[in-house]
Amino acid sequence: MSEVLSAHNVSRSYGPANVVESVSLALQPGAITALLGGSGAGKSTLLRLFAGLEPVDRGEIRLGDRVLSSPGSTLAPEKRRIGLIFQDFALFPHLTALQNVMFGLKALGREPARIEAEGWLHRLDLTARAGAFPHELSGGEQQRVAIARALAPKPAAILMDEPFSGLDPALRSYVRDAALEAVREAGIPALLVTHDPVEALDSADHVAILKSGQLQQEGPAAEVYLAPVSADVAAALGPVTRIRAGEVPAGLAEVPAGHELVVRPEGVVLEEGAAVRARVVTSQLTGAMNRVVMDMDGQRIVALVPRTGAPHPGDEVGLRLDPALAFIFPSGAT
Amino acid sequence: MAGLSLPRRILRVRPADGPAMLAGAIIAVPVVSVLVAALLMGGGEAWDHIRRTLMMPYLGGTLGTLAMAAGFMLVFAVPAAWLVTMYDYPGRPVFEWLLILPLAAPGYVLAYAWGDLMGVGGPLQSALREMTGWAARDYWFPSMRSMPGLAFVLASGLYPYVYLTARAGFVSQSVCALEAARSLGASPLRSFWNVALPAARPAIAAGLALAMMEVAADYGAAEYLGVPTLTFGIVRAWKSFGEPAAAARLAMILLVLVVGLVLAERRSRGRAGSQQSSTRWRSVSRTRLRGPAAWSAAAFCLTGFTIGFIMPVGRLVWRAAEAHETIAPVGEALKNTLILAGSGAVFAFVLALVIALAGRGKGPGAAFARLTASSAYAIPGAVLALGALVVLGGLGLTLTGIVPVVALAWVYASRFTAAGAEPMVAALDRAPASLGQAAESLGASAWRRAREVDLPIALSGASAGALILFVESLKELPATLMLRPFSWDTLAVRANAYAADERLAAAAVPSLMITLAGLVPVILLSWRLSHARPGEQA
Repeated sequence: MSEVLSAHNVSRSYGPANVVESVSLALQPGAITALLGGSGAGKSTLLRLFAGLEPVDRGEIRLGDRVLSSPGSTLAPEKRRIGLIFQDFALFPHLTALQNVMFGLKALGREPARIEAEGWLHRLDLTARAGAFPHELSGGEQQRVAIARALAPKPAAILMDEPFSGLDPALRSYVRDAALEAVREAGIPALLVTHDPVEALDSADHVAILKSGQLQQEGPAAEVYLAPVSADVAAALGPVTRIRAGEVPAGLAEVPAGHELVVRPEGVVLEEGAAVRARVVTSQLTGAMNRVVMDMDGQRIVALVPRTGAPHPGDEVGLRLDPALAFIFPSGAT
Repeated sequence: MAGLSLPRRILRVRPADGPAMLAGAIIAVPVVSVLVAALLMGGGEAWDHIRRTLMMPYLGGTLGTLAMAAGFMLVFAVPAAWLVTMYDYPGRPVFEWLLILPLAAPGYVLAYAWGDLMGVGGPLQSALREMTGWAARDYWFPSMRSMPGLAFVLASGLYPYVYLTARAGFVSQSVCALEAARSLGASPLRSFWNVALPAARPAIAAGLALAMMEVAADYGAAEYLGVPTLTFGIVRAWKSFGEPAAAARLAMILLVLVVGLVLAERRSRGRAGSQQSSTRWRSVSRTRLRGPAAWSAAAFCLTGFTIGFIMPVGRLVWRAAEAHETIAPVGEALKNTLILAGSGAVFAFVLALVIALAGRGKGPGAAFARLTASSAYAIPGAVLALGALVVLGGLGLTLTGIVPVVALAWVYASRFTAAGAEPMVAALDRAPASLGQAAESLGASAWRRAREVDLPIALSGASAGALILFVESLKELPATLMLRPFSWDTLAVRANAYAADERLAAAAVPSLMITLAGLVPVILLSWRLSHARPGEQA
């Protein structure tokens, strides 16, 4: 029976700098929680607090009802049964892929450990590479070995620190899908630290947004995407156009003084007969959609529209906002 | 060109490679002539005598000393490097660089000091007798004048090689690997034993091999402590028997041993990788030790530093001060040392520069020269000096006039050029290749490019190299003994002569001057070590 891994008002500071400040976050079994934030937001530190690699200054880390960390008392990482997956793979360079996976299976005895490890390598499509040393493996293979190694000892939870950002884009989604499928099947709490909003939305059930060590918002991914509590949260989950109250073009939206309009590109709808007009500056195909940059009285606004029917630079177009993807927040609150 | 094997690369010589080929040849001649002499010249009567009665003691002495010194060094240096890298305890930041200071004193200087410290009349035994009331024959006391004593003395000064490379090995491995081990249920001890140590093994082996080459090359300590070794035998075969050919045969055996060491080091790398697969560096967050653990760690490091530096150097200072010794008697020797080490350093520096600038250290000529230079670096000075003597003999030259000065500078350069060339090549390697291409696109000729682009860059890495060349030449004893101009004593030769006469107070002054000079590059290295950016190998 898997248990919730949770942080309760956890704080951690290095000297005067608060890296993590009063964060409470519960990681549910069987769900992947993506922890998003810019660099220096405290994501990795929070992960290290969960793992027991660093002590908490205040608050508690718990697994179920059991307290793992509290001020002055930190259960050693090797006693927590929490798996770790690193961006740099952290495979043991002197051990083969198989030996790496066997490392955490010492308690089973040699032969059962080998069989178990081989099973994991098979699962992650690595059977042929069992005897290879890490430097003989490709990046994607190394990361899959790291995943097998972390999951093989049946940990109580798994923590992943930007595990896919070192891989080249063509490989990333394949490795990610294989990895997260295995993680989901394990049915344990999983934390995925990332700075990539697309990855977070693609693969996580929950998202949590951290900024300057403080938790901004957490919840089911779609909910946070569609109902962000601040402009920063909205921006953390994907590109937005931000326009201050006095500068919003007439007719586009009613924005009270002291507020700002935050709109996602797919929330800008081009419509022939709309009253608000704009001139197209650039229109570029960026994968599935065209990214259209428009000018309205000196204000730039970005829309994502299907390629067919996309306007051309110089065209004048009408536009309106989709209320579900346009938000108004008090401005200046960064 | 990069895809060609070394011999193919060397075969593809262009005229521009001439200077580097010449530099490589100048470096290679002494050792090649020793091999030729060993294989082609008869051994003479002396050889029969040496082979029958001295060979086994020499070989046993060298092998035994090597094995014991390796044991001493590993037992101290590897745990010390681990403590310094992974833990925080009182004095750690200071120990990190203090632990390399023993490199400053050459083995013979340590031997004089330890021989005196541990002797029957020395301070330790005197104190013991005073405390217990025993007479000298009432107790057993470890003797420095034995193989274990020699191994201990040499190890106490050479362990920093192992400490430095082990530390670099521990620092450069991903901390994430250790954290992964912990998250997989391994205790800190198991993480060290099963993860950190195997990953650092090639680095440790490299440092150990380097230290062992120095052990094999030692002459002064073995002679003073009366332990027969191959290097000691080489000098004696030449000096006492006057038999260069017999000496050359002993030298060849020593060479086989040295080559064996190099190969063993290569082999220890094996197929298992030691390189990090990691692309991201995260600095070590040291675990703070508390209570007895913290003090034990500090005491462990302090013991190594005390044995390697404080006790021997302190003893020499004490002896010199007690006898009111001044530097006046060694004024002449100091001048000679500056001239000889200076000319050796200049010669080696020029060779190093030629190697570095020839195709930025990458051309076939440079590849050949770097290979010979790094091989010669592993060869004992006594062997190279013997080679020079063989060449001089072949040319009908005697050690008079300017000949010995040139010959010594040649031997110094042959042995130490690698130490000067490698920093320069490294400086050029760090500079982007596009610099040269930019110069060419601006119409610079190859010569102008070498002079105005490559030379200034190479020189930026040269100051430390030049210093090392000078200090190494200054410390060198056996080659200097064999080749120096008649009645030209250097500091090392003076120290050796005084020590042989058991005039230890007099020997202390030149010994301390050598150690002081040796401290300069060591402190420079410490400074770089403590100021290196994380992730950078010092």
